[in-house]
Parts: sequence; C-alpha cells; structure tokens
Amino acid sequence: MPPSILLLLPALALSAVVFLAPFLWLASTSFRTQAEGSLLLADGLSLDNYIRLFADPFFVEVLLRTLAYSVVTTAVSLVVALPVARFIVVRAGRFKGILLALMLVPLVSGALLPSLGMLHLMGPLGVVNGASRLMGLPTVKLLGTPAGILIGLVQSFLPLMVLPLVNTLARLPNDLEQAAASLGAPAAAVWRRVILPLAMPGVVAGSVLVFCATFTSFVTPQILGQGHIATFGTVAYQQAGQVLDWPFASALAMVALAMIGLLQAAITVGSRFARRREARQ
Amino acid sequence: MTTPQTMPARLARGLHALWTLLAYVMLLAPIAVLILASFDDGSFFRFPPQRLSLRWFEAATASREYRSALGISSLVALLAAAIAVVAGSLAAYVLVRHRPRGARIIEAVLLAPLVLPLIVWAIALMQIYSALSLTGTLTGLVLAHTVITLPYAVRIMHATFERIDPALEAAAVSLGARPFDVARRVVIPLALPGLLTSVAFSLLVSFNDVIVSALIAGGRWMTFPVRLYSQLRGQGVDPTTLAIGAGIIAIILVAAVIGELTMKWSRQV
Repeated sequence: MPPSILLLLPALALSAVVFLAPFLWLASTSFRTQAEGSLLLADGLSLDNYIRLFADPFFVEVLLRTLAYSVVTTAVSLVVALPVARFIVVRAGRFKGILLALMLVPLVSGALLPSLGMLHLMGPLGVVNGASRLMGLPTVKLLGTPAGILIGLVQSFLPLMVLPLVNTLARLPNDLEQAAASLGAPAAAVWRRVILPLAMPGVVAGSVLVFCATFTSFVTPQILGQGHIATFGTVAYQQAGQVLDWPFASALAMVALAMIGLLQAAITVGSRFARRREARQ
Repeated sequence: MTTPQTMPARLARGLHALWTLLAYVMLLAPIAVLILASFDDGSFFRFPPQRLSLRWFEAATASREYRSALGISSLVALLAAAIAVVAGSLAAYVLVRHRPRGARIIEAVLLAPLVLPLIVWAIALMQIYSALSLTGTLTGLVLAHTVITLPYAVRIMHATFERIDPALEAAAVSLGARPFDVARRVVIPLALPGLLTSVAFSLLVSFNDVIVSALIAGGRWMTFPVRLYSQLRGQGVDPTTLAIGAGIIAIILVAAVIGELTMKWSRQV
C-alpha cells in the first residue's frame, strides 16, 4: 500500500464510520420495536413502525404538509432568485462582492439566529405589526401560521438557490438581452428561450438544495410555527428527543430519506430528459 | 453603456434593481431586527422601541450561564475545525496529486454529509451514542461536529490544491527539499487562502449547529445554539440572547465580507 493512501485514512474513516454507518443502524432499528414505557428493543424484526406511520392520518398529513411546504418554498425561491442572480452577475458591477457576501450571511449563521429575528419581525408586537398599528392599518397574524413559516423558510434557504444560479449564469454572455433585443426579441422571450435553458443546471442544483433543506428543517417550523404546526422535522425531533420512541423515529427518518431520494432521482431524470428533447429540437 | 435606451428598457432595468433590493430586504430583515431588538431597553421587544440601551449587552457579559455555553461552543468548534481541516487537507491533497484508484467513490464518501440529510443522521447517531455512552460527552460532540465540517474542508482544499501548479513541488524536490520542507515552505504557503477559508467555514458551521447538537449535547456540554433553541421552545425570549445573537451576527457579517472580498467564499458553497 503506498504511503499516500495512509493520509486519506483519517478523513475516510471519520466519514465512513461516524457518518455513513449510522444510516445502516437507522435502517435496522426502524424494523425493531420497543415495548410501551421501555427503551429496550424487543427481539425480532417487524414492519410495525411503518404500518403505524402510514395508518395514522396524523403522520401522513405531516409528511404531505412538509412536502407541500418544500414545493412552495422551492418554487418561490426560484422565482425570487432568478432575477437576483442575474442582477448580481450582470448589473452589480463593483457591488458584486458585497451582494455575494450578504447572500452568505443567512447561510453560515444557521437557522436559529434568523428565526430569533423573525420572531421579533412577525410577532404581535413586532416590527410588521408595530408599523401597521402606527399607520392605522390592521395587524396580521404571522407567527403560528403556514404563511409565517413559509416566509421564514424562503428567507433561510434563498441563498441555496441564488448561489448555484450565480455560478451558472456567470458563464453566459452579459449582453444576451441586448443582442436578442436588437434582433427584435422581447425580454420575456429571451428569458424563456435562452437564459432559462442555459441556466438549467443551476436551477436543478438550487432546487434540489432548497427542497432538501426545507424538507428536513426543524428550527424554522418549530419556532415560527410556535409549536402549532407539525412538519417532518418537528415531529422527528419530538419522537427522538422527547417521546424517546427511537424505532419509530428511525422509521420516520427512513421514510423522509426515501422521499428525498425519490425526488432527487425524479429531478435528475427529468432534467436529463428535458435536455435531450431540447437537443433534438 | 452606449446603446440608446428606450423607456420600457429603462423601466425594466429599474424594476430589476427594485426586485433585487426587495429580495435583499427580505433576506436581511430578520438580522436587522435582531440587532435592533438587542438595543431595546425593555424586557420584551416591541416596535417602535421606547428606549435604547446597552443593558442586554451588559447582561450578556455578566451571565455565567451564557459565558459557559459560548465557551463550550467555541471549544467544540475549535477542536472540530482543527481535526476537520487537517484530515480534510491531507485527503484532498492525496486525491488531487495522486488520484488513487476509486477516487470518485472516496470523494463521494467524504462529501456525503453535504448530500444526505443531517437530521436523519442525527436521529441515528443519537441512538448509537446512547449505546456507546457517548451522549453528553465532549468526545461525542467534537466527533459529530468534525464529521459535519469535514466535507467543507475537503471540498475547499480540493479546489485549492487543484489551482497549485505541481511543478512547484517537483522543483522543490529536485532542489533537494525533503517532503516535510516541501509541505512547510511550498504547499502550505500557497494553500493559505484555502486553509483560512476552510478553518472559517468549519468554525462557523460547527459554532452554529443545532441539528445534531440538540440530540446529543446533554446538559454538561450544552452549546449556545442548543441552549437558545430549548429556551425559544420553552419560556420564550430572554433579551440577553438577543445581544449575544447580535454579536454573533456582527462577527459573521464581518467574516463574510472579508472572506468574499479576499477569498471569493461564495464560490465555495
């Protein structure tokens, strides 16, 4: 064995043993059960956890709600992010560095501190409602509602959409709009026919990142939902951290993993198919 | 710009700029509000603020509870970042320079924590830690944080080493430098921006983690984010945490601006 391989071992061992091996453990405990009030696993394998999960309308609803939030957050992020990314690439000039740096801030500050700010932005005495009251406008209830959670999710994960888009759009020529406009094409057509198809790799990468981040998020829905709205993340933490039903939490996590995996596969296959059709035209 | 601009074109450009501005307002509003609220004198923030003061910043520096949580977070982040950057750099170096067999599989394993959902992993890790009595220990916490910061170090160092011309190392060797000297005098100085970026990302990712820590930290080694999270779920907001949060955000802002302007951080994400 060449000595260089030895230098790989520490990182490889950490990732394989501490990160990947637990997924196998998870798969196996999801087929175990524990008796009521006990933390000891009963002997034998069974599908009980999965049957319970899919037979209980509460958990099915939680998964569907999480799926809906993820789709909405991804779609809204994409619509918001496309013009922003294009602006950063083409129009920002010497502000480009600052705009990118500000985009990094929510990404590296984790979900918790922005949520703490959101509480004071959306709360009954917060900035939005305080300003509304000053101007004599009606107040809005955002905390504890799906709208509040969705605003928080888009805010948290928008950079995951913007940054891959910036990286792909940066490879396109800057004067696409002008070139097309001089040939008589309206801006909307340029976007639909030229920019979007070329930006597709960034759209796919960003969408997968935002979808996965939303699907598995728990801090934002927990804090902004005020405990009233259950999502996969909040329920999984409840089962694992408070109810201490670990086999059931494992099954829940496995189902989430499968849903995310299926979606990623669908997006990959779908975009490959679309590209092939594009090439044929 | 020399092309003549028609009215609709100028309007479109104006709308584009406005759209971008609004997106940034939404993106940064919670951070701005967090900073504003931290200067509010009241025991709970209400808008518009009645009186501004540094009261909660004083409370933050005086609180032993929060000082200890911040100390634990910093200790865990420093240990995890040190291990992750050393292990990640070594692995990235071998992958770039020696391209061993199965390099793609090795890369996939090393980058897995960026692809697979951490919350699913955390639920598994919690059970294994419990079986191994690692729950609530410093070792367990550092190990977990090392693993989630490692892929950032691997990816950033991989890109860094790819940009360094191997001829420089070959030249040093042909002039009689020993491997250790090549590393110390040639590779490390050339890789310094990448190393600094890896350290900064690892520190930030570890320091702000709540996903894994919330399930494995326990009472004795409770990091600041875990303390904040359990407080927000329970009794509501202690304004002291607003002051601490504002301080952390200020550090992140400064780091992000320096990192982007000098080391192009946004391309590493």
